[in-house]
Amino acid sequence: MLKDARIAQISFLALFLLLGISTRDWTLRPELLAVLGASCLGMQWVTRSLLPTLRHQPGVKLWAIPSWESALITGLGLCLLLRGNTVATMALAGGAAIASKTLFQYRDKHFFNPANFGIIVALLLTPDAWVSPGQWGTQAWYLMLFVGAGGLVLRWVGRWETSAVFLATYAGLEAVRMFALGWTADVYLHKLMSGSLLLFALFMVTDPRSIPNARQGRFVWAAAVAWLAFLLQEEFFVSTAMFWALFALSPLTPVLDRVWPSARFQWQEPESCATAPSLIHGLGSLE
Amino acid sequence: MKQQRHWWRSPLTGIPQQSRSAIALVIGLLSLLIAPPALAFCGFYVSQANASLYNQASQVIIARNGDRTVLTMANDYQGDVRNFALVVPLPTLIRQDQVQVSDPEIITRLDQFSAPRLVEYFDENPCDLPARGATRGGNPAQFDDADYATLAAGSHGVTVEAQFSVGEYDIVLLSAQESNGLEAWLRQNHYNIPAGTAPVLAPYIRQNFKFFVAKVNLTEFRANQRQRLRPLMMAYESPRFMLPIRLGMLNAQGPQDLIIYFLTPSGQVELTNYRTVQIPSDFNVPDFVQAEFGSFYNALFHTSHEQANREAGFLEYAWDMSWCDPCAAEPLSATELRKAGAFWVDAQGSGPTNPVFMTRLHLRYGRDRFPEDLSFQTTGNTQNFQGRYIIQHPYREPIDCPAAAGYYREVSDRQQIEAETLAHYTGWTEPEVNAKMNWLTPPSTESDPLRP
Repeated sequence: MLKDARIAQISFLALFLLLGISTRDWTLRPELLAVLGASCLGMQWVTRSLLPTLRHQPGVKLWAIPSWESALITGLGLCLLLRGNTVATMALAGGAAIASKTLFQYRDKHFFNPANFGIIVALLLTPDAWVSPGQWGTQAWYLMLFVGAGGLVLRWVGRWETSAVFLATYAGLEAVRMFALGWTADVYLHKLMSGSLLLFALFMVTDPRSIPNARQGRFVWAAAVAWLAFLLQEEFFVSTAMFWALFALSPLTPVLDRVWPSARFQWQEPESCATAPSLIHGLGSLE
Repeated sequence: MKQQRHWWRSPLTGIPQQSRSAIALVIGLLSLLIAPPALAFCGFYVSQANASLYNQASQVIIARNGDRTVLTMANDYQGDVRNFALVVPLPTLIRQDQVQVSDPEIITRLDQFSAPRLVEYFDENPCDLPARGATRGGNPAQFDDADYATLAAGSHGVTVEAQFSVGEYDIVLLSAQESNGLEAWLRQNHYNIPAGTAPVLAPYIRQNFKFFVAKVNLTEFRANQRQRLRPLMMAYESPRFMLPIRLGMLNAQGPQDLIIYFLTPSGQVELTNYRTVQIPSDFNVPDFVQAEFGSFYNALFHTSHEQANREAGFLEYAWDMSWCDPCAAEPLSATELRKAGAFWVDAQGSGPTNPVFMTRLHLRYGRDRFPEDLSFQTTGNTQNFQGRYIIQHPYREPIDCPAAAGYYREVSDRQQIEAETLAHYTGWTEPEVNAKMNWLTPPSTESDPLRP
């Protein structure tokens, strides 16, 4: 078993990207994907190697990229989600994503999901960035793959309940709306069977480093993100509602961490919190 | 609402309403069937897979800038105009000056400009070429790089919000409190609506949609000796970028084709709740396809549609209208773009100050795979795309030089690939394709009947 769930996550995200390109007719430009990857890794190096070296921090190697795995996950996440026309847009998104980890911290913990931050920056500041919510379609095969892969990673890092609460809240709100409007069940199912929604729920809203540490905090957090996403989507007709909801509510993380204090997540700490058995112990023991 | 006057100019004339005896209702979107002329293209532009190919095709133009939308619905209603009626749910209430009739020619123009097309190139005599195998324009890769770029109002909880005539249409704008009331109202007013309408009307009513109901004003229609109904055009302002398709499925016989021409100031439009897929494009096809381009494109679309699990919309064209080099058809003038609904275009202007990006989406939808209304978004995607198929005619005159053998071999290989490609994309069987192939054969040196 891999000690670091990030390697599994990188593998799955790379697989999804290959699947998207080969079977979902995505027309991606390779150079823009390369720019996203390079800008993420580059900014990781700048913020974690170059700047600390210039500040004479001890134990920093200039020619290494610490936590390159995290930067690569962010890069792959952006490759899967963000579309643009220009190299500059992609470089901005990748750079901003990683820089947000250093720029927006509270008690040494960043609270924006880096890829989500990059997406919002690109959507806000450039004319040519977009996200395609319909890109996966609604075929069950993909959904099962996402659930399988996501479930595996989440079980590993102990954050599956965040996805579950997010999806349950969103599905519940949609169910109430559909029932109230009088749409048939197939309309409801079609809405929920969106590959993009599942990927977001399993791979973005669950980032263990930027979401609340305590399980209670994550419950509140995930439900709030789902509610806001639903509101933006159905009342304000924002097609990228999920990303805006996550962005807007990210600053809640430090607040929730104060209300329900708990140990921070570490990627490589198999005995304490990054392994599956801790899930069995339920609330409290996980952290 | 005042704002809208700045972008929607409609010198409309009201026409007295006549009593009607409409007995059938066509709910949804209707279409126009138009024949194509041939136009010049890089190479020779020979054929077009335009909207007349499809039996139940609707054509719609949606011009959108910000929250402002101009929706034009083509009308190909073939029956007795007395029976014609149209019900369209709209996300907001509109006034008389936001409705007008449009020129059917504008839809023809957009169709011509954007329809998937066949282009042809001719090999030259290989003896005239400096190097063997070099054919003018013969390599598809070269083309890839060349970016060419009174009614019983108040009853049943139904309110008649507005009632007016525009051109040959009598229009009523309704709001309703509940679907059974609206259904009853429509029946009371002699709209023979399909069974099961009320449950489908309900979600729209609960989302505060208004209902645009049009019938034909027979006096006007006959007085002007009109041959066909003109497209209806309406302008409204709403954050919803969507097209209701559910009502249209009520009386549909099988899947329906819908072609939507989007005009935006920025970039491509895509579906947000279904996949948007580029139609396979830019490959060489055998020269017999020229005679049956319509059936070729139909087969290609059918195969692509099936492969996409019948649940995707297909991009057939995406182009920045401010330039093209060369153009597939005479570019639309600023006046034509305004006619098509692109209200932000200055009628006198041209070029980058009047940005219009056109997207042509083709959907084949049925109730099973398209349960939800269509939702769209405008993206910043300015990549150009067109459905384009290439015929490279072999040189069929006698070749009298040493390059002949090599040329025949090359063309034989090329035709084989073309036949396989065609079979792959259309789902036609290889024997079927092979039987139609006009193979280039070398003049036989062994055809002497006296030879043993």
